[in-house]
Order: sequence, then C-alpha cells, then structure tokens
Amino acid sequence: MTEATVPSAAASPEAIRGWLIDRVAYYLECAPADVDEGAQLTELGLDSVYALNLCGDVEDHFGLVVEPTMAWDHPTVEAITAYLAAELAP
Amino acid sequence: MTDLLTGATRVPVDRDATLERIHRFEALLGDPDDPDNPLGLRAVLDADERGELLPEGERALARFGLGAEFVPAALGGRFERADRFSLLMRSLFRRDCSLGIGHGVTSFIAGLPVWADGSPEQRRRAAELLCRGGRIVAAYTELDHGSDFARVSLAARPAPGGYLLDGGKQLVNNIGRAEAAVLFARTDDRPGSRGHSHLLVDLDGLPADRTERSARYATSGVRGCLLGGVDFDNCPVPADALLGLEGGAMETVLKVFQVTRCVLPGMVVGIGDAQLRAVLAFAGERRLYGKPVSALPLPRSVLTDAFVDLLICDALSMVAARSLHLLPEEASVRAAAVKYLVPKLLQDNSYRLGVLLGARGYVREGPYAGFQKAARDLPVVALAHASGAVCLSNIVPQLPRLADRAWRPALDRAPDAPVAPETVFRLHDSLPALDFARLALTTRGADSLAGVLPALADELAREATDRPEVAELAVLADVFTGELADLARRAGSLPPRDRTPVAGRRAFLLAERYVLLLAAAACLGVWRAAGTDDPFLADPLWATAALRRLAEQLGLSRDPLPEPVVEALFEELAGRHRSARTFDLFRTGLATQAVPAKGVDR
Repeated sequence: MTEATVPSAAASPEAIRGWLIDRVAYYLECAPADVDEGAQLTELGLDSVYALNLCGDVEDHFGLVVEPTMAWDHPTVEAITAYLAAELAP
Repeated sequence: MTDLLTGATRVPVDRDATLERIHRFEALLGDPDDPDNPLGLRAVLDADERGELLPEGERALARFGLGAEFVPAALGGRFERADRFSLLMRSLFRRDCSLGIGHGVTSFIAGLPVWADGSPEQRRRAAELLCRGGRIVAAYTELDHGSDFARVSLAARPAPGGYLLDGGKQLVNNIGRAEAAVLFARTDDRPGSRGHSHLLVDLDGLPADRTERSARYATSGVRGCLLGGVDFDNCPVPADALLGLEGGAMETVLKVFQVTRCVLPGMVVGIGDAQLRAVLAFAGERRLYGKPVSALPLPRSVLTDAFVDLLICDALSMVAARSLHLLPEEASVRAAAVKYLVPKLLQDNSYRLGVLLGARGYVREGPYAGFQKAARDLPVVALAHASGAVCLSNIVPQLPRLADRAWRPALDRAPDAPVAPETVFRLHDSLPALDFARLALTTRGADSLAGVLPALADELAREATDRPEVAELAVLADVFTGELADLARRAGSLPPRDRTPVAGRRAFLLAERYVLLLAAAACLGVWRAAGTDDPFLADPLWATAALRRLAEQLGLSRDPLPEPVVEALFEELAGRHRSARTFDLFRTGLATQAVPAKGVDR
C-alpha cells in the first residue's frame, strides 16, 4: 500500500498481470502460482465490498483513479489486466 | 436555538420549517400519559398486545401526511434534511416504534433507490403515491440469505415484454397491503456483484394467481408490524419495472443504504429516551432506605450514564446525518459506524435500566409497562436493516487506507490534513440538498471526522491554561488522539486475511475502537460548535462525561463519573423530566401535560 506509484509507461500488460496476481495472492495468503487468472474474484473469496479494496490498491499503485466497482465490472485477473492496460496505454 | 416552547434568547440563523413541523407532530401525538388519548401510551400498549399497528395512529399519521416526509422536496415532498427527518421520526419512535417502522421507515427505505436511480416517470409515480398516503415496500430480505445480498435468489428472468418473477421474499413490512414494491431480484445467474437489479412493481396490478402475499411473521418486538412475505410463481412484470440499470442494484443498495443507516439510529434514540423516562419516574416514586431510589448512588449513576449515552448517540447520529449532505464521499464508513454504535449503546442501557426497574421491567401491565415493550422492540429495530456485525464488516476493509490517507496526516498535523468543517457540528445550520450521485461505495481513505481529535486536542491544550473547566476535556482529547495513533499503527499492520471477508476478531475489534473514536470526535465537535444560547450544550460538563464514558468503552478507564459530575448531570436530567423535555441534544418540549408521579397504568 505504501509502495511508490509506478510510472504508467512501465505498466505493460505483463507487469499489470503480475502485480495483480501478487495482490490477490497477498489477500488470499496463497502462492501467486495458485491464483487462477481466469477465475471470478468472487469465487476466489474476494466478493462485493472486499473487491473494492483491490481498486484502492490499483489507485495507489498506478496513480490512477478507477471506479470502486472496477473489479465488479471486470471480475477476473485477466479482465482487470485488459482494462488497466487500456487505461494506462500511452 | 433549541427550545421550542419557551422561545429563543436570540433569533436563530435557520429557524427551519421542519422544527415547527416536529413541534406540531408531537402535539398531534398528544400526551403519552393521558389514558384517554387514542395515541397515548395505553392505546399503544394495548395495540401491541393485540399484535396490530395502532389503527388510530395510522390514521393520524396519514392525516399528518407522513408519507410526504419521505419524498424529496424537489419531487413535491417535504424531505429536505436527513438530520431533521431523523428528528421528526424520533418523536414517533418515542411513542411507538411499531408505528415508526411499520408506518414509516419501510416506505422511506423503498423510496431511496427510486430517487437515486428511477426514471423521471418512476420518480414522479413513487412521489405521488407516497404523498397521497400510499405505501411502497422495500422487499430485500430472504430468510435463507440474511444480510448476504450477493446471494439473494428471487429471480427476475427475461421474458417477452419484461420479466418473470420466481421465488419469494420474507420479513417484508406491509407487503400484504402495499400498492407498490421495490424488489431486489437476481437478473443474472453468474456470480459477482452485477447479478441483481431493482424492480419497481405495482403490486395490485400483478396477476392474483401468480402471487401470494398473505404470510405474516410473528415477532418478539414491534409486534404490531405487519411483517409479511411474498411468493411469486412465474409472475410476469413489465420491462419498464426495471429501476436503474440491469445489474446495478448492488451498487445502488450500497450507496442509498448509507442514507438509511445514517438516519435510522437518530430515530431510535427516541426509544432510549422513552425507556429512561419510564425508569426515571419509577426511581423518583419508589422509596428505599427512606429516600427515592434515584437518590441512591448506584441507581443515580445508572440514570446519568444512560443520559450521557443518549447524548453520545445523538451527537453521532446528527453528525452522520449532516455529513450525508456535507461530506457524502465519506458516508460509507460514517453510516456503518453510527448504525453499529447507537443500537449497541441503547441496548446496553436498556439492560441496565431494566435491572433498576426490577420486575416492572418485564411485567406487561401496570405503570411502566411501556419499558418492556421498548426493551422488546429495541433488539428487533437494532437488527433491522444491518446488524452490528455487517456494519463493522463494511468498515474493516477500509481501515488500512483510512490510516494511510486520513489519520496519519491528521496526527502529523499536516497542513492539508482533512478536518471536518464546523458546520457539520452546528445542529441548526442549513444544509445543501442531499446529492445521491455523490455517495460512494468507499471513502477512498477520506475521513475528516477523526481529524477533529488531534485538531481539538491541540486547541484545548492551549486553552486549558486559562480555562480550568476545559482541563479534563483537554486531557481526554489528548488520550483519544493517542488512541487514534495506536489505531493507525495497528490498522496499517493488519495481516492481509484480516482485510477480507474472513477477517478475524482482531480486525473487528479495531473497527469497533474506531467507531468509539468517531463518537468522541462527534461529541467534541458538537460541544465546540454549540452557541452560548444553549448553555447546557456549550458546557464542557456533558462532553467531558461523554468522553469519559467512551474511554470506559475503550477499556482506557475503569473509574465511574465523579460524584459532582453525576450530581450536575442528574439535576439537568431531573429538570428535563419535570418540565417534560427530551433527553437528547435538542431539549425540545414534549406533549406531556402533567408528568405523573407514577407511570401510566395499562
């Protein structure tokens, strides 16, 4: 949460995906390798209000303002990656 | 200016029409202790015994046009300010919370998603219905899913021309007799938070052979409320019943319920007022060891503690309600805090006051029978709409960011640290219209109320050298600021799991401590902003006692209020009781004609 905001140019889809997987693994206290990128966050255990946390992390990390409902409308790691990659594209 | 009956010492800044209306409303309810008053306590208790909503009460509320109070002024109603609405309904809750819930709150709740999301036509229809005394019910609850809205299963499946409803709702007030309902229904079977939609349905227009709404649930409290249920069997509803966007209901609920969670607790303060009044009468009349019970030290401290707790509840309620207008972006946490703390404090006091009242605390007849009804009503009302656990679980995931973005800057006295403006605490200042579009799912770490603690601690420390009467308050403000620092440290180091749905006790304890700090900030703010025209509110006496009570709740102090403080507070309390004035921050006159030596006989 206190990590420095990354410059948006450095936010390649691979970097976004990697960071998201780390973040989800952090909340679920599991290994990043165990996070299924295609699985619904709800199914993984991050539902409704808790998915909102991820939006706060995204804002802090990427220096970007996103709708709190981002993870509702893009409910998998894959979907959020695609969304953020488009948002952060130079 | 808080005094309606004796007149003001100066012309208030904003002598709003609602205050006048609240006074008329109280007069309409009439003297609670008059056995011949059809809306008096005896009639209320008899209706409760019969398990029905007091019919004369419903008629009187209809004549008053209570429904218009739920409708925003912009749509032709009388709802302008959340704090004043809460205060108006408090009069009703003091008298009978079955009527408060059953004839009031339920339609208010149902209106909110319509005002927030409805088409102009839907808003117009809903406003018109409520203003002419009709009912809209808020149909959310399913017994199998409790507060877990994400798993609500009543289905609205796409069909030619609209939807087919299949499934049921339970514990829905007035569903058997309302004209319209706002239904929270599943429109998408996939998991996630976009699977539910709101439907505004004309109940009388549905095919009778596809709906069943005669169920009635018997309850331990608010026994008069018509808590019913509905079952739909592939019941068609038109496409234009959809309220807002398909899949948008969860988002809307999490926003508009912030409004209800901010105004309900302020209403429920009326129940605590009524209970304290009954026990105060008993303790004045019953004699023990040659004195009234109220002269004995222990009962006296139970009574004054209850008084101070009511003031705490009111301060947090009013600040939360005013924040809806002034700081809507922060409301998600504030709403959860007030909805958690107020019912809990009232419940604790209900228990202690009941012990004082002894057998009269549970006997359903004779003088003081009003107490047991309130004691039964309170737990039901407390659970209604969001339990304490649900409220805290809304706060838990926000704690780390609040610590980062709001509390640490405030504690570091950063120049840009957010501190709530004084108007949040000025109970009679006018408010801008409530803007539903500015309510947000999270605070994004914004919290200007907690920032009041370090800011006022600094100010009071400077003043205390010249004003000995604020010395103790200065010390307490400093202690609470220290608690905020501790909370910030602990919230920042919460393990990841404690930021998710499976958070443990540690996270919930932090959320609870945080709520107590917000209550302290609200009391300090209200005291600080009080004008000299209200000497009691401007006196550090109550604010100091309030912070001491909250310090006790935090486990920081084991000492009771000192005897001179108890005496001064009891004198105020007894004076209000004798002159039939409320025990809240407003000290308004009640419709009581003559305070009886004994409670009213049922």
